[in-house]
Amino acid sequence: MRERELLPVAPPARIRAVVAELVRPRKWVALAAFAALLGAIGANLVAAPLLGWIVDLVVEDRPASAITAPALLLAGIALVEGALAVVGIALMGRLGETLLAQLRRRFVESVLALPLRRIEAAGAGDLTSRVGTDVQVLGEAVREAVPAFVRAALMIALTGVGLAALDWRFLVAALCAVPVQALTARWYLRRSPQLYAAERIVGGAQQQQLLDTFGGLRTVRAFGLADEHTEQVRLRTEDVVRVAMQVVRLQTRFFARLNAAEFIGVAAVLTTGFLLVGDDLGSGVTVGAASAAALYFINLFNPINELLFLLDSLQSARASLARLIGVVDLPPEAEPQRPAEPADGRVLARGLGHAYRPGQDVLADVDLDVAPGSTVALVGASGAGKTTLAALVAGVHTPTRGEVRIGGATLAELGPAKTRETVALISQEVHVFAGSLADDLRLARPDATDEELRAALATAGALEWADALPDGLDTVVGAGGHSLTVVQAQQLALARLVLADRPVVILDEATADAGSAGARELESAARAVTEGRTAIVVAHRLSQAAAADTVVVLDGGRVVEQGPHEQLLASGGRYAQLWAAWSGVREG
Amino acid sequence: MPRSDSGRRLLRSCVRAHRRPVLLASLLFCGHQAGEALVPVLVGVVIDEAVTTGDPVALITWLAVLGLDFLVLSTSYRLGARQAWAGDVRSDQRLRMMLTRRVLDPAGGAEAGRLPGSLATIATSDTKRIGVVNYALPHLVAAFAALIVAAVSLLVISVPLGLLILLGTPPLLYLVERAGRPIERRAEPSQEHAARASGVAADLVAGIRVLKGIGAERAAAHRYAAINQDALTATLTVTNAHAWYQGTILTANGLFLALIAYVGGRLAADGALTVGGLVSAVGLAQFLVGPLQAIGWANGMFAQGRASATRVADVLATGPAVTSGSRPAPERVRGALRIAHLSHGPLSGLTLDVAAGELVGVVCPDAAAATALLDCLGREVDPPAGTVAVDGVPLTEYPPAVARRLVLVAPHAGQLFAGTVESNVRSAAPDRDPAPALAAARADEVGAQTAVTEQGSSLSGGQRQRVALARALAADPPVLVLHDPTTALDPVTEAQVATALRMLRRDRTTVVVTSNPTLLDVTDRVLVVRDGRIVADGKHAELLDRADYREVVLA
Repeated sequence: MRERELLPVAPPARIRAVVAELVRPRKWVALAAFAALLGAIGANLVAAPLLGWIVDLVVEDRPASAITAPALLLAGIALVEGALAVVGIALMGRLGETLLAQLRRRFVESVLALPLRRIEAAGAGDLTSRVGTDVQVLGEAVREAVPAFVRAALMIALTGVGLAALDWRFLVAALCAVPVQALTARWYLRRSPQLYAAERIVGGAQQQQLLDTFGGLRTVRAFGLADEHTEQVRLRTEDVVRVAMQVVRLQTRFFARLNAAEFIGVAAVLTTGFLLVGDDLGSGVTVGAASAAALYFINLFNPINELLFLLDSLQSARASLARLIGVVDLPPEAEPQRPAEPADGRVLARGLGHAYRPGQDVLADVDLDVAPGSTVALVGASGAGKTTLAALVAGVHTPTRGEVRIGGATLAELGPAKTRETVALISQEVHVFAGSLADDLRLARPDATDEELRAALATAGALEWADALPDGLDTVVGAGGHSLTVVQAQQLALARLVLADRPVVILDEATADAGSAGARELESAARAVTEGRTAIVVAHRLSQAAAADTVVVLDGGRVVEQGPHEQLLASGGRYAQLWAAWSGVREG
Repeated sequence: MPRSDSGRRLLRSCVRAHRRPVLLASLLFCGHQAGEALVPVLVGVVIDEAVTTGDPVALITWLAVLGLDFLVLSTSYRLGARQAWAGDVRSDQRLRMMLTRRVLDPAGGAEAGRLPGSLATIATSDTKRIGVVNYALPHLVAAFAALIVAAVSLLVISVPLGLLILLGTPPLLYLVERAGRPIERRAEPSQEHAARASGVAADLVAGIRVLKGIGAERAAAHRYAAINQDALTATLTVTNAHAWYQGTILTANGLFLALIAYVGGRLAADGALTVGGLVSAVGLAQFLVGPLQAIGWANGMFAQGRASATRVADVLATGPAVTSGSRPAPERVRGALRIAHLSHGPLSGLTLDVAAGELVGVVCPDAAAATALLDCLGREVDPPAGTVAVDGVPLTEYPPAVARRLVLVAPHAGQLFAGTVESNVRSAAPDRDPAPALAAARADEVGAQTAVTEQGSSLSGGQRQRVALARALAADPPVLVLHDPTTALDPVTEAQVATALRMLRRDRTTVVVTSNPTLLDVTDRVLVVRDGRIVADGKHAELLDRADYREVVLA
C-alpha cells in the first residue's frame, strides 16, 4: 500500500482570515443580531431589580397598590425581551446558515477540482470524513452550540454589569467562583476531546461490525461463523459500554465541580449582601438589592454550565473548520495558457513507463498506436499494468517516462480540462448518484433533452428497465432511492459515456462482479457505446478481446504480444493458449 | 397478539432486567431534585433570617445548611447519573446481543424482507432508544418528586400564591408547546430539504471518480450550488420559525413572572407573605419549569422507546426460514449428491446426480433458477417439493449447521470480514494450513498478511473474489458448490485458477454453477438447466458442438 498523503488542514490564522472574509459582506447583519440579542438579555436582567424594587416596597410597608407599577414594567420588559429575541435569534441564524452554505459550496467546488491522483494519494476516507463528519459537526455547531454560547456569554457578561450596578462588591463576590470554574474548564477540556473521539471510534467500530456481520449473513451461515461473529459483536459492545461509562464519569465530575463553584459564588453574594445591608458605611444597599443580587447569581447557574460545557463542541467545530478550509484553500490544477486542440481520436503512446515508487516500475517501454475509431483490448494478469496504462492515457497519472499523445497533442499541451473533454474513463468504481435517473444522466450532459437521454439508455441496453421503473426516468435512484443492480448501475455508467460523447473512451473493469449472464449483457452494451470512438478496453473476458480490432497482451508491465485477434491466434503464443482454455479448443 | 403489545412487553422486560440501577438512580435523582428545589428556598431563608436581621450566627448557620444542600444535590446527581447511564447502556448492549444471536441463528429467517443496513440500524439505533428508557425513567420519577417538593414548599409559603403558580404553570407550558407544534411541523419538510445539502455533497464526493471519468465536475458543481441555495432558503424558514418559537417562550415566561410578582407583592404588602417567602416563590416558579419539561421529555423518550421496542420485538419473533432436523453428523462422508424432483421458484422437478469425487459444471442461463438451486443446496430455504441428499440422506434430516458442513455453498458475492487475508481464509478451517487453498485461488499474490477492512472494501473486486474462493477451498467440505467464482478475474488468472481448482478438488465432490468456458473446460461433466430442469448432460467439449450451448457460454 502506498503512503497516505492526507489533505491539508488550515492554520489558525487562515481560519480567522476566511471567517472574516465570509462575514465582511454581512457585517451589518452580524452587528444587528448582536445588538438585538444584547437588548433581549438586557431586558431579561431588568427583571431582577424590578423584583428587588417590589421587595423594597414591601420592606418599606407601602400599600399593595404600589406593586402595580413595577409589575406592569415586568410585563412590558417581557414583551420587549421576546420581540428582541425573535430578531436576534433569526438574524444570528441567518448569518450562520449563510456562512455555512457558502463554505459548503466552496468546499464541494474545491473537491471537484482536485486532481484524481491527489484524492488517491489522500485515500478516499480522508475526503469522506471531511464531507460527512466535518460538515455535519460544523452545521450542528452553527445551529446549536454557537448561538447558545453567544447567548450564555452575553447573559453572563450583562449579569456582571447588573451585579456591579447594584453594588460593585456584589460583582467581586460573584467572581469568587471564577477560579474554580476556570480550573474545571481546563481540567475538562484536557480530557474531553480524546474521550469523545474514543466514543465516536468505538461507536463506529460497533456499527461497522454489525454491518459486516449482517451484510455477510449468508457467508457467516455458510461457513458456520456465527459464534465467532457473536463474540466480535460482544467485544465491540463492551468497548461501547466501557467508553460510555468513562464519558458519564467525566461529565458528572465536571458538573460536581461546577456545583462547588455555584455554592462558593452564592455564599459570597449572600455574605456580601449581609455585610452591606447591615453596615454603617452608608453603602445604601437595601434588602431588595441583596435579594436581586442573589437572584441574579442563581439565574447564572445554567448559562455558566452551558457555556463551559459548550467549549468542547466549539473546539471540535474549530477542528472541523480547519479541515474544511484546508481543502478550500488548495490551488486548482494548472492549465496551459492556450490548450492544444486534438486533431482526431488517435491515441499514441511512446516509450511509456511508470513507477508509483522510484525504482519500482509497474509499466515499461510501452508503445501503443490506436487509430481513430478503433478498439484496443488490454489482456493480462492482475498486476500486469493494464489499469496503470489506462490511467496514464486518461491523464490521471503523469508517466514517469515517455509520453501520451491524443490527436497529435501531448497531454501536457492539452492540459487537464481539455484532456477530460477528450478522454472519458469508466474506472472500477460504480456509483449511482442520489436523485432522479434523469439528473444522474444529465451530469454527463446538462442540456440533454429527454429524447437524448432515452437514446443513450437505449444504446447502453438500459432503456427497457429504465422505462419499467416506477416513475420512469424521474425515479429517484441511488442512496435512499430505488436500488439498481450491479449490471444496471454499469449500464447507467455506459449511458453517461454516450452522453458525454468523448472521442476517446477507456473502459476498465466495466464487467466485473456482474456474473456471467450480466457480463455478456454489458459487453454488448459496451460495444455499442464505443462504436465510432477510439476505445481502450481492459478485457476481463476474452470475448471482449476477440471483438476488438487489436489485442495487447501485457505481462509484468511490458507488452508481450500485440496484433489482431486472428493473427495472435495463428502465432500460437500466450494469447493463443488463453484462448484455447477459454473456447475449449485444444491445440493438437 | 397485536404488535404494539409485544413492544410494550419487551420494554417492560428491559426495565425489569436492569431494575437495580434504575431504582437506585430514581432515588438519587429524587435527592438531587429536592436539593435543587431547596436552593431558592434556602436563599430566601438567608435573606429573611440573616440579611434582614443582621444576625451573623443565623448567616453562618443557614449558609452551612445551604452548603450541605449543595453537597447532597451534587453527590446524588453524580451517583444517580452513573446508575441511570449504566442501566441505559447495559440494556442497550443486552438487546443488541439478543438481536445478533437471533439474526445469526443457523435456521435463519430474521433477515427476511429486511436489508442488512436496516437490521444494523435496528441493532444500534432502536436498541439505543429502548436503552434510553432506563435513563429517562429515573428522571421522570425525580421530576414528580421535585414537583411535589416544590408544590409543598409553595403552599407552605402561601396558599393563594402557591395555587396560582401550581395551576398556572402546566397550562402555560401546554400553550407554549401548542404554539410550538405547528411551527415545528411546518419546519419538518424544510429540515429534510436542508439535510439534502450535506447528503448531496457526500454523494458527489463518493462518486468523484465517476464524475472525473466523464468530465462532469463543472456540471456537478453547478448542480450542487443550486441544491445548496435551495437548502439555505429552506433552512432560513426553519431558523425564522425557531426564532419566533423562542421569543414566544421568553415572553410567556416573562408575563407569568410579572403576574406572580404582582400577586406575591400584593400579598407581601398585605402582610400575608414574608419578603423571603416572596423571593423563594419567584425562585420556585422558575425552578418548576425544569421538572415539567423533564416530564415532557421523558414522555417523548417513552413513545420513541415503544416504537423501537415494537421493531426489535418483530425481529426477535420472526420464525426460522428452514426446519431443523436432529440427525447427528455422519462419521464418514463419501459426498455423493442427489437432487430429486426439486421444485422451488423456477425449478420444476429438477433431478440430478453428482457422483462422489466428481467435478460438475451447471450452466443455468436463468439467473433466478441458479439462485433457487443454490438456496436449496445451502439450506437457505425449505423447497416445497423434492429433496437434496448427500450419501442418500436428505439434508433436511440434519440441523442446518450440520447440513452446511456437508454441502458448502460459497455465495457469489461472498463477503470478506475485517481482519487479514489469512484470518478470513482460516476462519473456514482454523486447524488447516491455508497455503494450498491460497495458492490455488491465486490469493497468495494478495498477501496472506494484507489487512482486510470491513466488507473487504480495502481490496479490489478481483482480490476479494480470489480470497473468498480461497476460503471456500480451505474449508474443504465433502461437497463444495461454487457460483461464478471468477467473474472479477482476468482471463490469465482465471485459466490458472481453473486448473488449480481441478487439482485441489480431485476426489472431492464439486459443483460449479457458471457459464464461463474456462471453468467448464476443466469439469468432468456439464449439466444445462433450462425451464427448471436438466436439458443437456455431457462433456463441455462435446456440448460445444451444439449451437444453443455455444451461444450461452461463448457469446
